[in-house]
Amino acid sequence: MEFAELIRISRCDRVMLQRPHHPKLDGTLCITGHHLIVSSRDDEPQELWLLHSNIDTVERRQQGMTGGTLWLKCKDLRILQLDVIGADQFAKVADTIEDLIRVEDPLLKYPFFYRAMYTVLEDGWTAFTTESEFSRLIQPGDDWRISYVNKDYKVCSSYPSAVVVPKSVEDSDLIAIANFRQAGRFPVLAYRHEGMAVLMRSGQPLITANGKRCKEDERLLNGVLAREKRGYIIDTRTQNLAQSAKNLAQSAKLRGGGYEPEPHYPNWRRVHKPIDRHHVLLDSLTKLMDGVNDTSSGTDKWLSRLESSNWMNNIKETLNCACLVAQCLDQEGASVLVHDTDGMDSTLQVTSLAQIILNPDCRTVRGFEALIEREWIQGGHPFATRHARSCYTPSAHRSKSNSPTFLLFLDCVYQIHAQFSCSFEFAENFLVMLFEHSYSSQFGTFLGNNECERRAMKAPERTCSLWSYVNRPEILPKYLNPMYEPNQRVIWPSVAPMSLQLWGSVFLRWVVDQGPQEAAWSVVRELKERDSSLRSRVARLRRQLQDLEREAMEVGIITSPTEEVMSVA
Amino acid sequence: MFSGGGTGNQGKIKGKAGSSSGSSSSSGSGSDSSESAASGSSSGSNSISSHTHDSGDSSSGTTPLGTPPHVQMASHESLNSESKSSSLNSKLGHESAGSPSAGSPSPPKSACSSSSTSTDHHHHQLSHVLSATSKMTVREGSRTLRPDEPSLFPGEHLEGTAREVTYLCPYTGPKKGTLSVTNYRLYFRSPETDPPYELEVPLGVVSRIEKVGGANTSRGENSYGIEIFCKDIRNLRFAHKQQTEVQIPLHLDRELYFSIPVFRRFRILHNIAGYGTSQMNEENHSRRMVTEKLLQHAFPASHKLPFFAFEYCEQYPENGWTLYEPIAELKRQGLPNESWRITKINEQYEICETYPAVWAVPAAASDNDLRSVATFRSRGRIPVLSWIHPESQATITRCAQPLVGVGGKRSRDDEAYIQHIMDANAQSHKIFIMDARPNVNAVANKAKGGGYENEDAYQNAEVQFLDIHNIHVMRESLRKLQEVCYPHIDNAHWLSNLEATHWLDHIRCVLSGSLRIADKVESHKTSVVVHCSDGWDRTAQLTALAMLMLDGYYRTIQGFAVLIEKEWLSFGHKFAQRIGHGDDRHQDADRSPVFLQFVDCVWQIMRQFPHAFQFTEDLLLTLLDHLYSCLFGTFLYNSERERMEKEVKTKTISLWSLVLSNMSDYENPLYNPATRHHILFPLTSMRHLRLWDKYYCRWNPSMRQQEPVHIRFKELLHVNGQLEKRVDELRKELAARQTHESPESLQLWFNFNK
Repeated sequence: MEFAELIRISRCDRVMLQRPHHPKLDGTLCITGHHLIVSSRDDEPQELWLLHSNIDTVERRQQGMTGGTLWLKCKDLRILQLDVIGADQFAKVADTIEDLIRVEDPLLKYPFFYRAMYTVLEDGWTAFTTESEFSRLIQPGDDWRISYVNKDYKVCSSYPSAVVVPKSVEDSDLIAIANFRQAGRFPVLAYRHEGMAVLMRSGQPLITANGKRCKEDERLLNGVLAREKRGYIIDTRTQNLAQSAKNLAQSAKLRGGGYEPEPHYPNWRRVHKPIDRHHVLLDSLTKLMDGVNDTSSGTDKWLSRLESSNWMNNIKETLNCACLVAQCLDQEGASVLVHDTDGMDSTLQVTSLAQIILNPDCRTVRGFEALIEREWIQGGHPFATRHARSCYTPSAHRSKSNSPTFLLFLDCVYQIHAQFSCSFEFAENFLVMLFEHSYSSQFGTFLGNNECERRAMKAPERTCSLWSYVNRPEILPKYLNPMYEPNQRVIWPSVAPMSLQLWGSVFLRWVVDQGPQEAAWSVVRELKERDSSLRSRVARLRRQLQDLEREAMEVGIITSPTEEVMSVA
Repeated sequence: MFSGGGTGNQGKIKGKAGSSSGSSSSSGSGSDSSESAASGSSSGSNSISSHTHDSGDSSSGTTPLGTPPHVQMASHESLNSESKSSSLNSKLGHESAGSPSAGSPSPPKSACSSSSTSTDHHHHQLSHVLSATSKMTVREGSRTLRPDEPSLFPGEHLEGTAREVTYLCPYTGPKKGTLSVTNYRLYFRSPETDPPYELEVPLGVVSRIEKVGGANTSRGENSYGIEIFCKDIRNLRFAHKQQTEVQIPLHLDRELYFSIPVFRRFRILHNIAGYGTSQMNEENHSRRMVTEKLLQHAFPASHKLPFFAFEYCEQYPENGWTLYEPIAELKRQGLPNESWRITKINEQYEICETYPAVWAVPAAASDNDLRSVATFRSRGRIPVLSWIHPESQATITRCAQPLVGVGGKRSRDDEAYIQHIMDANAQSHKIFIMDARPNVNAVANKAKGGGYENEDAYQNAEVQFLDIHNIHVMRESLRKLQEVCYPHIDNAHWLSNLEATHWLDHIRCVLSGSLRIADKVESHKTSVVVHCSDGWDRTAQLTALAMLMLDGYYRTIQGFAVLIEKEWLSFGHKFAQRIGHGDDRHQDADRSPVFLQFVDCVWQIMRQFPHAFQFTEDLLLTLLDHLYSCLFGTFLYNSERERMEKEVKTKTISLWSLVLSNMSDYENPLYNPATRHHILFPLTSMRHLRLWDKYYCRWNPSMRQQEPVHIRFKELLHVNGQLEKRVDELRKELAARQTHESPESLQLWFNFNK
């Protein structure tokens, strides 16, 4: 197989592994096609299994002929230190790892080799189809329909085969609109709030310098507002620092992009809410992690480093925009269209966060999974491209399209979760788990850039879905929030700076032991368990008592059942 | 079914506002009664709904545009918010019905709570009482207590009321209402919003009162009034329209003028001024009087008035004054033993007037030694035991700096005494002397006759400096922090502004110093002597925090109270000076937030070990509220001796009476008693510290807790207990029935088989 030529050394003795929160491990290194395995030589069962796809970058420092040290910097933000003895071995190990993490062919990725050792009860690949997901939002006889115009992914390569569009718009119109919108991303329905106001997303309109129009696009958007008076177009493109919003739109025009001119979209109001994307976001994460990992420097500069990384500010801006969208939908009952340039990044953050704020379903495990599927995976967020490199890769080796967009989204969810800890069915560790799997996984869920690519590589048939794994009754309980109480209300998070906190269990977990927090949660879990077992005991005893009483009444020992027994809940 | 538990607790947190109507007659203004009756009935009905409205309101957070929804609701929609609140209520009701395990959503921190100083529980209870009294007013037609007046504590009485006053809320805009002053608190109520806006501030938290406006300022609408600066990180501004200013005739002596009965004053003014309606004059007058009463009761010490604590006469089931018995606490630690003895040499506070009456000292040191050492230590504060390790016998002792001076004086007795402390611990042949100050400060103190121990003179002793700055630096840091936190927060530079205050830096220093002490005692089994200059500020912080880390007893509610009684109160932290209780010299250089810093450090440790404390941060908040409020005698005066002289224990109530009588309000549902034997070593690097936003930013409406998790925890625990009880009852009942019925059932069985 192809890996054989890359693996120059498959086994190496006497390596020393240092990793966070673990004692030093003195043992043997094995390198397979997908894993790096270090196991201790003595009988203690200490072992590390690391997917090559988790390694972001390898830094090496050779020490003459005696060997050298490798720093494996991972996409889950962990940093491992591996000491290898012997210059020759050291070079071979380093080269092998570097080559293996650069394997590009998606068909060689681990999910295609991983076989689930359990029976899949519900296949995650088919659990969240457009038809079933939107069945609750749109009814027959409604203004919306499912269109299969994109079934061959020819109209829009990043859209799924089935999308929800206004009924009044023909498939032929959609093709025309796709030509007018960046990346072919014509406006589609993302969410409908309480059967009324709709949330849509798209790519930017390609107005071009000579002010091209698209009658079909205008008809679609204006048609949506037929019954309501006003709609909002939330534009999340970033401003170049020197450019005003107008200049930006003009320069976008020169490149073919632009904004919807008001005369042609009379009832739509355009609101500009810039959110950082792409490499700007990755740079921000790099600065953040530099600060986190720099434990040697004087600690007194930590806060200003945190601030200058701009990460918290990115969270604030994103949440702010999502709240604005939610407010338009909920409080004004107005419809909203969100787009950035091609509508695959900040657009998805905003539409999905708005749904979490508005829709209690999205705060359940299943609803959140469906949201990720709908908005991110089927919605065409290019996971493969964005997550190919992360913050530890030197900026020279990054592409401008690498970005922790999804991580920022999860962080925003975490912020809401922290403020409304009882409103979510899943616990915080569910978000951490999603973050890890979105970068490196044995499952095929986050493979490729869009549905088209996943179909092409036959991912649904050949790989296992993360949802199939996580929804198993053996696995799911550990991701459940013991404090969950369904909350049907809209939840408005606070975006005041002191309300936002650094997400410790992602960014600080390799530096700070999260033990005490986890211990506290386990106390809560125990409490909840004790509570439910007591409840069932009470119920059982009450039944027994009632039976006895009935019996006693029949033989005439007592005349009526004790009131108290009936009244206790 | 358990909802009663949740709401029922609300009233108990703060002192109960018991019989309140009796003293209301002393209202000073006595303006026309028809007006008050009208406003009474209308706002009375408002206050009935306020309770439920609050809980609904808190479901919404900050809206994206930066204005919390309740703000809009309060200011613009007060008239038609009736329907809104009721729909919220019905939603709430629906929810609680649907989820039995949660019980009722017991009213979370209310919207207005950000304005009431004592906790909002109090505030809730207040609205209860108010609605009750206003109903009474309507029914009987007799004047008991107007709804715009506060319900009063036993011993509290109304001193004055001013109408048509505007409170300039920095978050929700100006509100017009009535300002009342009692001998304990300031109370403002505006019926403009629904629920009525209420603000109350115990006068003890007032640091300074300034008049705003006057002849030289522009006559804008809200340019006249007073500004109240509080010790709990907020400033309040009240304004009033400048009415036709009534000039008191020059030839009339001011005091004489005010001694004239009101009705006669009118006549005089009418005769002299000849314009302006009497009502206007009356209003101006009542305002002036309110300001004066405010000054008097905010600064009783400066006006030769007693603290309110001496008038407060609530009954509590528990007596907090008996909580701390010095000898019992030493016994708990295993003292006396062969190396340590308990002495009452200072019973008359003659050797050291700022120390407690009871000391634990090395058994090897004679009383004469103690007297001799006292002459060599600043203010006679000799090394006395704070804590002893139950196994290793390593100790923490505390004292003041040695009087070394520029000449490098020595004291054989002091050196021998330190040696005795070291010898009392057989595990180690070393002793650490932790000087809390930065090295330069310690050196500089030599010029003033102080200094630090010379390692050559003290054999086997190692002196370490912990780099904690003095009270003036801390005061300045808190001042900056207040600027950053109140009223508005700069979104873009929040973190760097916070950093620039250095507040967290200081917290880190105190924490890591305490950690170092705990580590020496626990891991190195070595005794530690702690001092700063006088040994009553930084030293108290360090010993108390180290003890909190080392001994789980101090992490229980009782133990924490003992810790504060012992390390802070009995060892003479000068609360009166540092807080400035009832004193109007707001620029006094002796004021400093030393105790606040300690409480902040406790909060930081609690945050890192959420299950190691029996209490929640609610206890810390209560502690800080009453640090300033002067409702309880606990924090009054500077030393045990002064408190003895003022008979604080017999004439006032202890804060611990409140705490011990309402234990369940402070209990931490996550507490794991097994942690009592754990040693806590908190992480003290900056990235593990956080600003205690629930304290410093608590007046900011966006700080309202969105979902009060700990209340749910508490409810869970409560449900749990109920169920457990129920199971037991049913079991017993079943068992009883079965034995009772068995002959019959047997009979039945026989009949059946026949």
